[in-house]
Amino acid sequence: MFFHIVLERNMQLHPRHFGRELREKLVSKLMKDVEGTCSGRHGFVVAITGIEDIGKGIIRDGTGFVTFPVKYLCVVFRPFKGEILEATVTMVNKMGFFAEAGPVQIFVSNHVKIQKDSEVRLKIIGTRVNATEIFCIGTIKDDFLGVISDPAGS
Amino acid sequence: MEFHNGENKISCSKKYNWLFKMSVVDVAPLNSSNSDDFAAFLDTELESTPNTSPEPEEDADETHHSDINRTKRQKIEVMESDSAANESTSQHETTLAVDASVKKNICTHPSGMLGLCTKCGEKWDNQSGVRLEYIHKDVWVSDDEAARIRERDLKNLLRHKKLYLVLDLDHTLLNSTHFIDGDATQEEGYLMNPSDPMQDPLRGSLFKLNSMQMMTKLRPFVHTFLKEANKLFEMYIYTMGERAYALEMANLLDPGKVYFESRVITRSDCTREHKKDLDVVLGQESAVLILDDTEEVWDKRKENLILMERYHFFASSLKQFKHRCKSLSELKSDESEADGTLATVLQVLKKIHTMFFDPDLGENFSGQDVRQILGTVRSQILKGCKIVFSHIFPIDFKAENHKLWKMAERLGATCAKEVDPSVTHVISTDVATAKSRWAVHQKKFLVEPRWLEAANYLWQRQPEDRFPVNKI
Repeated sequence: MFFHIVLERNMQLHPRHFGRELREKLVSKLMKDVEGTCSGRHGFVVAITGIEDIGKGIIRDGTGFVTFPVKYLCVVFRPFKGEILEATVTMVNKMGFFAEAGPVQIFVSNHVKIQKDSEVRLKIIGTRVNATEIFCIGTIKDDFLGVISDPAGS
Repeated sequence: MEFHNGENKISCSKKYNWLFKMSVVDVAPLNSSNSDDFAAFLDTELESTPNTSPEPEEDADETHHSDINRTKRQKIEVMESDSAANESTSQHETTLAVDASVKKNICTHPSGMLGLCTKCGEKWDNQSGVRLEYIHKDVWVSDDEAARIRERDLKNLLRHKKLYLVLDLDHTLLNSTHFIDGDATQEEGYLMNPSDPMQDPLRGSLFKLNSMQMMTKLRPFVHTFLKEANKLFEMYIYTMGERAYALEMANLLDPGKVYFESRVITRSDCTREHKKDLDVVLGQESAVLILDDTEEVWDKRKENLILMERYHFFASSLKQFKHRCKSLSELKSDESEADGTLATVLQVLKKIHTMFFDPDLGENFSGQDVRQILGTVRSQILKGCKIVFSHIFPIDFKAENHKLWKMAERLGATCAKEVDPSVTHVISTDVATAKSRWAVHQKKFLVEPRWLEAANYLWQRQPEDRFPVNKI
């Protein structure tokens, strides 16, 4: 599921970036640092959509780096148990198949006749989240689930 | 499973419940605030999950359970408020819901991946059964489930008239060497220079892998072999090499990824050190053929094994096996494309495949066993030969246990310790022994042991005059 939420992060900036463009530098560094990462609690950060607030910077002792608390708006993607997703099959093996919905990898066991590159609608029945990755177990054994388009396009 | 699904439905319906509520709110005339409302609602939903627990996974679980309870309560409330007549149904509903939570625990967790059961999605950290690293970095399959997968897969495969074929890499399909440690001999120097005209005949089968500092020569005929074998077999690579190396080789052999897909098994998958076994191959043993140049690693599966003559292209490879002769690279020659080892073996494979899918059996091949067929084919090679060995076995060695004795028997020959008129061959390395002289006198075949080995590798009785015993 996608969420549009406000997150906060302390950004450290090198003094050479201080000047008129400081804010732009902060924002571009934030995008580089945060977009595409994954946190267990919020899921994948898909895109930053705006900056809520940039707090007062604090100079770090000894280094000259300055830490700014930044509040930003972003779109996150977090799969949940019971959620229905559409995903692309990436690998089929004897145990089942792997599918990807954006950055999330989902494994579905005991398939029948699933081809690589086809699109499936599946339901998530288990999730495992760590600092950098979300892995899900899914099923296609339920009403309205299963292959929705073949790679051949027929 | 069904009950579990049912329960998920309940939790889903709860989720949609609030979505539904949302849309009811949204019908209010102020459309502009829609998105804000929604975001705010999601925020509160997110905030409502307990913040204290360090494991987010557990958060999700907890909310999930409380969801169920809430739904149950809601359901009961609704039912009760309806009318007294419906009371029996409401009770029925509750028992069903309770049943669901009991039944849910029944999943046997047949296989797990990254700490989750792949069947029900529950947390499951029990690492028992067999580990299949080549499928995913952390997969466990219980023995029962593996047996079930094998059975199902075999049925499917037999319907396509295919069998399993497990292929070794080094010395079977190709030969590799490191090129930095000065292993290359002077005569091999031309291999280092890509523009050397000597390399022309090797184009397309000699590869230099700079990232691994290796040079690889594919065995002649290998492309045709794979193409033909792919029609009859589902193929695995099974090597004692490193995973990165194996994948690189698989890429050379199968750039289109049509033959092996993810079926590349490497050293890290092996369940016993320095041994290969079929437990990690999800194929029924009665339908697996193995091509390998090393017999020892397959000690449990010799009946499935077709032993291959080692392919040595590079000098360093010969040195590794302590052979003192010129390598193919030094002689600037190669195995024959048309009747080399791979071509011979392909014929054998085709023969076994035809015998397995005997048209007389109709469509029922479940009683067939490749091990039996392989044994039958093999025992035809030297059928009718009676062999006596002379000066081959060390004194005090039990002749029946010797490698050559066993090999001769596997090839269908009968072995004897003493000469008699029914003997057809005497195998010796020395013309001067009593038995050798008897053979010459009685006009029996006198051959050296290589005759037996050649028949074993080439799957055919070899002309005896090509293996004479020389005077010392």
